[in-house]
Amino acid sequence: MPDSHEKTRRSYGLQTAGTKGVAGTKRYAMIIDLRKCIGCRSCMVACKAEFGIPLGVWRTWVKEGDKGRYPNTKRIFMPRLCNHCDYPVCVRNCPTQATFKHKDGFVLQRYNRCIGCRTCMVACPYNARHLIPAKRTDGNLPTMVVDKCTFCIHRVKKGIVPSCVQACVGGARIFGDMNDPNSEVAKLASKETLTVLKPELGTSPSVSYIGGDWELMDEPHSYTNRSTGLKEEFNDFKRNHKGDAFGDIIEGGDSTMKQVGQNMNGFLHTIPHKAKNVFDAFVNFLFK
Amino acid sequence: MNESVITYNVFHHVAWGTTISVYFWLVGASAGSFVISSFGWVFGIKRYKPLALTASVTAIAMLLIVPILLIWDLGRPLRFLYLMLPGYWHATGPMSWGTALIFSYPIAMLIYTYFVVKNNPLWAKIVGIVSIVLALSTHWYTGVVMELNPGRFLNHTALAPLLFLTGAFISGIGLLILILWIQNMFVAIKNRIEWALIEEMAQYMMYGLVFDAFLLFLDFMQTLYGSHSEVMGHEIVLMGVFRFPYLWLEMVIGLIIPFFILVSPIKKFKAGIILAALLVAVGVYGMRVWWVMGGQYLQTFY
Repeated sequence: MPDSHEKTRRSYGLQTAGTKGVAGTKRYAMIIDLRKCIGCRSCMVACKAEFGIPLGVWRTWVKEGDKGRYPNTKRIFMPRLCNHCDYPVCVRNCPTQATFKHKDGFVLQRYNRCIGCRTCMVACPYNARHLIPAKRTDGNLPTMVVDKCTFCIHRVKKGIVPSCVQACVGGARIFGDMNDPNSEVAKLASKETLTVLKPELGTSPSVSYIGGDWELMDEPHSYTNRSTGLKEEFNDFKRNHKGDAFGDIIEGGDSTMKQVGQNMNGFLHTIPHKAKNVFDAFVNFLFK
Repeated sequence: MNESVITYNVFHHVAWGTTISVYFWLVGASAGSFVISSFGWVFGIKRYKPLALTASVTAIAMLLIVPILLIWDLGRPLRFLYLMLPGYWHATGPMSWGTALIFSYPIAMLIYTYFVVKNNPLWAKIVGIVSIVLALSTHWYTGVVMELNPGRFLNHTALAPLLFLTGAFISGIGLLILILWIQNMFVAIKNRIEWALIEEMAQYMMYGLVFDAFLLFLDFMQTLYGSHSEVMGHEIVLMGVFRFPYLWLEMVIGLIIPFFILVSPIKKFKAGIILAALLVAVGVYGMRVWWVMGGQYLQTFY
């Protein structure tokens, strides 16, 4: 007879089998204690340095907000990264099996299988995935495929914590095996109140927060309550970094349909560049 | 409440953009045209036989543009071959189903068109039935490929395939009316398509508009009485940044104006029907825009 967890795993539609609470398996998880986060963004820098992440994209980032009214105010932070969901929508929807759920809980990406269709980016409710830009400092690293946080599997397999956890000066990021009752994360999970992002989606994230503020966790709120400066910055970013996905609409700028036309024009301009890459690939295959 | 202000966040791009919205429109117009093409040869309505060839060629032409858009939209265009390799194919991925459909539908249509040209009713009917199932499935897929993302609350509705198929039906007829009108200007009088037939197609388009309005009303009710994200999505996205494609292009230009043209005496004039067909074909693109880009808009700020 399957135990209750086995039953849960099997009854969850087309999703990948989860590792939550399954005896004999690891379930690497991260708890972020927001009471200790000071918003220094060391984790962002460490992650960028660890993987040589190009400009304009992030595997982890720290949202920031101001709460309350003077004199009762507080600055709040929320580090974000891939949630390494137990039931990842991205894995289910990927058409080439480029992304998969590792038996120890990691959700990983295989660059050699990724076609850059960005289905996983559309599927991910947490913005945790990005397309690597065509231009990258290290030409040997992959470009134009989707990338994401790996929970630093290369370090974890050697018994070292992920680089963001190591760099966290306040000890706000705690990493470990949730299925190991002696791990710090398991102990914290048993005594603290944890919240996860978008629990209603049933993705069962492996990243949870202590002391999360709904203002930072809520999606429409993140839009409506942006500061004036942030609105301007975002519009500037969209205006100047067209990226390789042409669906950005700038608020308060040109009319929406005019921007749609400009996006199509931008897309057409990428074709010669991509065609050259395809041609070079053929030449390499045939003559080298 | 709402006293907090978000002061810093990193920025994200919309993953699927204009290219995908154009692709959705093209597939829809193709499926709609093909439905009309099949009236004569598959469903046995003989008066539709003369326009079957034009309709199926229109459907094929629309679909020939699709691979160009989709393949060049990939980060790695050459790797589109992976979508068809057994070791890579992922059964649970909606895009895997779509790939199978997008490649098989034009082939079936080509074979059907061959039998139409050869005047072979039996095989035209058999292949026509397969083609019409593929046509509807290909467009059904464009609805579900974004529906099956629970995080996209504006897209995550079971109405999606119906909205898409209805849009396909009306935009396909609209486009076909325009093409038949142009065709009639260049062919001999005896080969011209009877205007009465085009008027009948316009009547079908009007029924489609009514059903489309009903579906949009249902969708509106769901978002209005929905979760915080749905309500705000409607307010911020559909009636905010995407107000033009949603309210003006889809509803006013593509639905209300053509509906009134088609129920009023204006429909007795050739220009009235041509105008209604043009407005419907253009208006449906508004739906494709808000569906693809609007559904992802809010999350880029999250």
